[in-house]
Amino acid sequence: MKKFSVKALVSIGMLSSISYVLMLLNFPVPPFPNFLMVDFSDIPALIAALIFGPAAGVLVELFKNIMDYFMTGSATGVPVGHIANFVAGILFVLPAYYIYTKLKTSKGMTLALVIATVVMSIVMSVLNYYVIMPAYTLFLNMPAMAAPELKTMIVTGILPFNIFKGLLISLVFMLLFSRMSTWISRQQYKSESI
Amino acid sequence: MMEKMIIGRYVPADSMLHRMDPRSKLILVFLFVCVIFLANNSWTYAILVIYTLVMAGFSKIPARFLIGGLKPVLWLVIFTFFLHLFLTKEGEVILDLGLFKIYEEGLRQGIFISLRFFLLILITSLLTLTTTPIEITDGLERLLGPLKKVKFPVHELALMMSIALRFIPTLMQETDKIMKAQTARGVEYSSGPIKERLKAIVPLLIPLFISSFKRAEELAVAMEARGYRGGEGRTKYRQLSWSKVDTGMLLFLMAVTALLVVFRG
Repeated sequence: MKKFSVKALVSIGMLSSISYVLMLLNFPVPPFPNFLMVDFSDIPALIAALIFGPAAGVLVELFKNIMDYFMTGSATGVPVGHIANFVAGILFVLPAYYIYTKLKTSKGMTLALVIATVVMSIVMSVLNYYVIMPAYTLFLNMPAMAAPELKTMIVTGILPFNIFKGLLISLVFMLLFSRMSTWISRQQYKSESI
Repeated sequence: MMEKMIIGRYVPADSMLHRMDPRSKLILVFLFVCVIFLANNSWTYAILVIYTLVMAGFSKIPARFLIGGLKPVLWLVIFTFFLHLFLTKEGEVILDLGLFKIYEEGLRQGIFISLRFFLLILITSLLTLTTTPIEITDGLERLLGPLKKVKFPVHELALMMSIALRFIPTLMQETDKIMKAQTARGVEYSSGPIKERLKAIVPLLIPLFISSFKRAEELAVAMEARGYRGGEGRTKYRQLSWSKVDTGMLLFLMAVTALLVVFRG
């Protein structure tokens, strides 16, 4: 991790704050069950990554989840849900960042976000199957779900939800990016010149 | 809501737990989360319940705050309770409902798991109710201090974390203000088609980002003007002090752990 300037440290803190506030403003989306909520907390992380580099994006995702854990706690003791959210966040932010830095156009950003959505949804489905769901059942001491049952739940529930959530975030981010791209590149230039 | 966020869930009071060092409280919670998995019969669960109630008594926090913390997980607990009740098929049948049979073991498991849930939530609530988020961050910074030797940027992480915590209420206020300003212009946030609502998010986010970057710049300049140059040789306004109570509480938990090991089946 390269050394951050004081400005970068403070800005990452602020963006984490925004990310946490946006996480609180979450909402369910009609066709999906109520506990699958959409929020836009990944957008500040993406902006952090674009301006201060990939490590900043990871940090924003990290702080957002640590703060939420402090404020609400976790039923399983070990914060499985928060770790899952953190992993999903970086799986979305990092691919989007690396593809965008290769292409550097507005169209490239769209492509990057779509690919990031696909990467995030697929990897999260695999992780859900092998790690997250088993961890939940372990800590809740529930009888483990049968493999085919779990598979249908992931393929029909979690995978489409993650794709939908990713696309929704991408859409809002593109709306934002089309207006803020000059501002973002100016901030980038400023943070490099310090 | 706004006032509540300023201090997290902290409830000011003058109690033994409030005066404890955040470091020892963090260690205690961490150990408790591990120790709770030792319990596997009525005796051990009884010991843990007594321990938790004693700690809650020490905290002098009104019971309604503790119960309030349990509410968000109530449904999850009820769900797992019934899952255990209906899916465990061991021991004697104690109730025959025709379609379902309730087994002794299922009832036992259901009660134990619900208890474990409640205890975990209560103990973590006790931490956040008696410690401000800033104190927790300070405690974490000191606990992770040794990692500085392997070039892990503990101080920088703690600084970012405290700034993030400090600005949550400010940014919430600002979000609220912008939302009201946009609502006055006819924007609907809580109703209307989803497409319109998504479009409404953008004019909320842009001012939020711009103003927070402005604020970050001002804060960074102010910090540098006052001679901030990282964690090296920095002194602290809030000093952490490890007292006898902290050592006592750790010994108390160890005694409880020893009892658990003896009584577990």
